[in-house]
Amino acid sequence: MPPLQLSPGAPLASSPAARSPALARSRLDLFLSRLIAGERPSASHALMAPASLWLLCGLVLPLLLILALSLTRRGPYGMVVWEFSLGNYAKILDAVYAPVLGRSLVYAATTTFLCLVLGYGVAYTLSFYAGRRREMLIVMIMLPFWTSCLVAIYSWIILLGREGLINNLLIGLGLIETPIQFLNRPFAVILGLVYFYLPFMVLPLYACLEKIPRALIEAAKDLGATPRSTFTKVTLPLSMPGIAAGCLLTFIPCAGDFLTAEFLGGPRTYLIGNLIQNQFMVAQDWAFGSAVAVVLIAVLLIGFYGYLRLEGSGFEAGRV
Amino acid sequence: MGLGPLRRPWGLWSWCAGVYVFLYLPMAVMMAFSFNNARRNVVWKGFTFEWYRRLASNHEMLAAFLTSLELAVSAALASLALGVLASYVLVRHPPFRGRKAYTGFINVPMMLPEVVLGVGLLTFFVRANIPLSFPTLVAAHVIFCLPYTTGAIRARLLSLRNANIEEAAMDLGATEWTAFRKVTLPLLRPALLSGGLLAFTMSFEDFVTSFFVAGIGVETLPIRIYSMMKFGITPEVNALATLLLLVTTALLLGQHFLTREKGQR
Repeated sequence: MPPLQLSPGAPLASSPAARSPALARSRLDLFLSRLIAGERPSASHALMAPASLWLLCGLVLPLLLILALSLTRRGPYGMVVWEFSLGNYAKILDAVYAPVLGRSLVYAATTTFLCLVLGYGVAYTLSFYAGRRREMLIVMIMLPFWTSCLVAIYSWIILLGREGLINNLLIGLGLIETPIQFLNRPFAVILGLVYFYLPFMVLPLYACLEKIPRALIEAAKDLGATPRSTFTKVTLPLSMPGIAAGCLLTFIPCAGDFLTAEFLGGPRTYLIGNLIQNQFMVAQDWAFGSAVAVVLIAVLLIGFYGYLRLEGSGFEAGRV
Repeated sequence: MGLGPLRRPWGLWSWCAGVYVFLYLPMAVMMAFSFNNARRNVVWKGFTFEWYRRLASNHEMLAAFLTSLELAVSAALASLALGVLASYVLVRHPPFRGRKAYTGFINVPMMLPEVVLGVGLLTFFVRANIPLSFPTLVAAHVIFCLPYTTGAIRARLLSLRNANIEEAAMDLGATEWTAFRKVTLPLLRPALLSGGLLAFTMSFEDFVTSFFVAGIGVETLPIRIYSMMKFGITPEVNALATLLLLVTTALLLGQHFLTREKGQR
């Protein structure tokens, strides 16, 4: 402990710092020093207060409000009538809205699977074979993610449109005669989702593969394992934590996405995100929109719980 | 080279090449068509700087760009300030009840679909009778920037934990406050830079949260692009996106090299 440690309970005048003005220039200095030292819980609480206030107002209260709102009903002119009702949740099971929910989950699951297949190959190659270039290559995976997703969507429209580049190319090569309809179909939406969320899969996979001791791979090789069995018996099991984390991180934003379906899809490919956005910004039924948001969070929480269970069970033993 | 079991992983490399082409194809298209001398985007009609020229004289776009810039700088600075305080307490102060839960809790915005965060904040501002404006937008952006700044600063503080440099400063007569100001903060600089850049980029590119809480009076660049996409788009957007891509690349590479050179000791 440093010699000038201020005992938190001591009155100002008796503390050594206060007696020698050369060391502690002011009461302010003393006060701030006590805060920083954090010997009393109150100092910790005081320093945490701004972040806590922010999280309270920006996260806790909004989520509670959404939950509360979902249990009310919509009045005339989009007003909220504060009356307890489960009507919004019943409405989700409606023939109009239930397919949206199902479709979102199917699209999100498909996207997650495709990202896993595409991303594992990349993460594996970079981690095991890219040598010193791998950091650069991993930054290149992230770069598209950091550019505006609106612009990326727009580029995909240029590529996939009826008179878009891909159709022009195929017609020019004589492979097809009439343009293929790519947009407004599930294909385009899932392609867009894979494009946007691939980095969310590659990064955790790569981080996990990097942790696997290369000696284990060497050992498998020395003991006569073929490359295939080295992969299936050593590398793949050891990368399970990365696979789980990557799937979770891909699935969550996918399930809530609304821009991709708005521009690359059509009304028949609308997802939960579109439904929420529509209820809040267009239909002005905030109560129903809130209920949909609550259902979305509930679904994601189930996924998250599954992930934690998986992480808590023997699966963690695979981590090195 | 190559630590894996295969000697010549051509198959794997072509797999990678395919994925990189997939990722960079839209960007290449966007860049190429920013120089295309045609209003409709699908056919190549010759080279021009026309769209860049128009972009420079597009006042609405410029105003939106400046709004986004101001927003991203404010959100990054505010989330850095909150992040320094919070992560200092979480790493350095004696453990208090709920410390671990709090550390996890700060990361919740990262795990939440943005649309939920957006409608939640919108509902909160409307219920609390706070008019939607530039300050509310900054406040909202701080929420999703906080995990990134806190994460970077926390990692740096943890890596400095065993260095005892502050204690040395205090042994030499500095007060805790002076030690924090003159020793800890300068040591945090790489984390402040990389976390700040991350937060800046997140905020600058953000559309979803802004869409819900910007209100009518404030137009950020992504919101401007969104309305252009809704109501007719010109290749000016390609020109703008190309410029932004160059800036983002520079920032990302800067951040990458900063963390690599200074962050690892």
